[in-house]
Amino acid sequence: MSNIIELNDVSFSYAPGAPRALSHVTLDIPTGSFTGIIGPSGAGKSTLANVLCGAIPHHFTGELFGATYVDGQDTCEITLTDIARIIGHVNQDIDAQMVASVVEDELLFGLENFGVPHQHIEKFITAALDAVGIADLRDREIATLSGGQKQKVAIAAILALAPRVLVMDEPTAALDPVSSRMVFEVLRDLNRDEGITVVVIEQKVALLSEFCDRIVVMDGGRTVLSGTPHEVFGHAEELREIGVDSPRTARISNSLAAAGLCPAEPPALSVDEAAGLVEGILREQGTRIAGSVRTAEAPAPAAPTTPAPRPHAAGAEPVLTFRGVSFAYPGGGASVNNLELTVYPGELVGVIGQNGAGKTTATKLVNGLLKPASGTVTVAGLDTRTAPVSRIARHVATLFQNPDRQLCKNTVLDEVAFGLELAGIDRAEARRRAERVIERFGLPAEESPFSLSRGQRQMVALASVVVVEPDIVVLDEPTSGLDYRECMTVMETVREMAEHGCAVIMVCHDMEVVSDFAERLAVMADGCILGAGATRDIFADAALMERARVAPPQVTALAERLTREASPAFAHASEVADVVRTVKELVNRA
Amino acid sequence: MLNVIDYIPGTTVLHRLNPVTKVALAASIIAATFLADSYAALIALLALTLVLGIYAGSGSRLLSLLKVLVPVAALMLALQAIFVRRGTPVLFFATDEGLISGSKACLRLLGVALPLVLMLTVTKLTDLANACVEHLHIPYKYAFTFTTALRFVPVFTQEMNAIMEAQTARGVEFDTKNPFKKLTLMLPVCVPLLVTSVGKTDATALAAEERGFYLRTRESSYKRYPFAARDAVVAVCCVALIAFGLVL
Repeated sequence: MSNIIELNDVSFSYAPGAPRALSHVTLDIPTGSFTGIIGPSGAGKSTLANVLCGAIPHHFTGELFGATYVDGQDTCEITLTDIARIIGHVNQDIDAQMVASVVEDELLFGLENFGVPHQHIEKFITAALDAVGIADLRDREIATLSGGQKQKVAIAAILALAPRVLVMDEPTAALDPVSSRMVFEVLRDLNRDEGITVVVIEQKVALLSEFCDRIVVMDGGRTVLSGTPHEVFGHAEELREIGVDSPRTARISNSLAAAGLCPAEPPALSVDEAAGLVEGILREQGTRIAGSVRTAEAPAPAAPTTPAPRPHAAGAEPVLTFRGVSFAYPGGGASVNNLELTVYPGELVGVIGQNGAGKTTATKLVNGLLKPASGTVTVAGLDTRTAPVSRIARHVATLFQNPDRQLCKNTVLDEVAFGLELAGIDRAEARRRAERVIERFGLPAEESPFSLSRGQRQMVALASVVVVEPDIVVLDEPTSGLDYRECMTVMETVREMAEHGCAVIMVCHDMEVVSDFAERLAVMADGCILGAGATRDIFADAALMERARVAPPQVTALAERLTREASPAFAHASEVADVVRTVKELVNRA
Repeated sequence: MLNVIDYIPGTTVLHRLNPVTKVALAASIIAATFLADSYAALIALLALTLVLGIYAGSGSRLLSLLKVLVPVAALMLALQAIFVRRGTPVLFFATDEGLISGSKACLRLLGVALPLVLMLTVTKLTDLANACVEHLHIPYKYAFTFTTALRFVPVFTQEMNAIMEAQTARGVEFDTKNPFKKLTLMLPVCVPLLVTSVGKTDATALAAEERGFYLRTRESSYKRYPFAARDAVVAVCCVALIAFGLVL
């Protein structure tokens, strides 16, 4: 197999003297491969994508060393337009990627420009739309499409040009788990059926390990690991140090290997592999399996280790109540119906569901940006229908998905102190409290927030939420666009706030984060709350998950499968540690 | 999110006209509005625009635009009434000439704004750009810039709303009744908007270049925009309109 793209000792910095975004990267992309690129933020992933697609050196200026060959030609010597005939590139910001307002015109744009004979154009458009499964969207206005649909339109527009390589920069960052999977399935089909080489930058390790045949791990502008998913995720320790997540099933197999119960390589990358591994261990140890264990001597179900409802939550006055709340946007959009929810101080409640289920609408009803059409929302004793938003803001702080919308001051210190000043605290006191929080977060107080990295900007936004010591924190996708380590820092801070009595309401697509941190869940679909209850009960309710079109986290799926096929002892296991402990117990008994 | 200039799908004659003819029609109504000097003519031109709008199904859009424009027009009338000192006083400080020139200026303002919006609601931006490149020989670069600017209006409005919401949730009093206070609060918010818009435009430029923007010529467009008999009829009407404006 030859290489369609070759990087030979490539280094790049965006300005002379600036730190290198890429340093000495040597990388081959074999023709027909499906390569995933992962790494913490600031590792140089997007810069690498820009090098691969020729935007560096043709669009972004800076200092470039080494050579990049696309199909044997040096990218410095051919134009960006010529590179684009071979490599299709889909940008991270999908709205900026679009050049037309109607789907058909979006596909036409590239075909017309590259001078495809007009009698063939119709054929290319139909083929591209069919390949990604959006033939029905052809005449739709792009502005009316959902995030997942837009992503597919962007892929189709590139695909119509029949590129040999597809370079995608975080295509699923704004999508729910079901849509993310669909995008990857489209990519896999193109890779398998059309022989298109795919390079995708992605943070979701479960998807990467399932779909890619090759994974490249980046850190500090270098490629540090590369190989098949099994090879790469076998280096669990190294990955953790870099700040890259591993699939939960790999953590289970690594823990079992550490306990000497199974060989260290290869790690289990899917629920299937992990279930096979555990069943193998049990069978080897002579434990009765598959139906014969339903006797009294089976060990008691694993004690759950998901966060239990906090003691101080019981008996306290609820800090937030939704009573029969309905709301509909005048122009259409995610409406909500008859919501009932009570949240107590110190609780961490997760809200899950598909894109468009009404989750964000629900959060806007909490912070008063929307007023209920019927029913009442009570926040810290205030009725949101009568209290002005600026008054509610003293009790409710919101961390938005995109920190850039929240930041508006010239220095980090001003930014963090701003919320306190708005709440009427005098300037000197506000700055003193802000300085304390900034120091705890390790942020540069005098820098402009806009000069920081995406992850650090999110931390500044979080700091300005923490500093006002609110009664309720609303988090709308707090972890999207963050790498694993930043995500953990944000969530640990949030958990700490909850322990100090702050109620947390979190909308989140990452089910692993939800299962690690939320103690209670509300599942939404089509504007209604389908079910609410303790996290492990909700995830274990397969029918409910199916109805909300939510994929349960890997560990829950594994536990459910092992309960059915191996031993009822796995019922209620919801964390890596639960499964590992149960396996050890079963083995010790045998 | 709905925007005043968004395309309204339809199959009326107005929709099926060549985009260039539509521009000509809007331009003639505007030219006639400037040339005409009698109330009857000004009101007739305004009525013509509204009737065309109702026919094309964008009547409600034009009416909602009128709601925004009427206060602006009223302000103009008041200013004219104050500053034009010729003629005989009729009411308090206002003179008859002031009122007449003021009210005509108001009608002209409405008569200029509405045809343009009407034209945009019945034409897809891409068609407009392609037809102008094909027939008027406008370089595609300018046509693309123009349509992209229009396309970014709703994108930036959405961004602005999201920023205002985020700031309101922090406790900035955007819900204040005082318009001047609201304006001073809005100024700092322009910084994040500027930062995101510069980033977005740069990304769009890259995306366009990666899809062969620089290869595009006048012959590139897949769709052709030939003139039909109805375009000729409308062209005659355009000439008649301008003549009408000159005479009355």
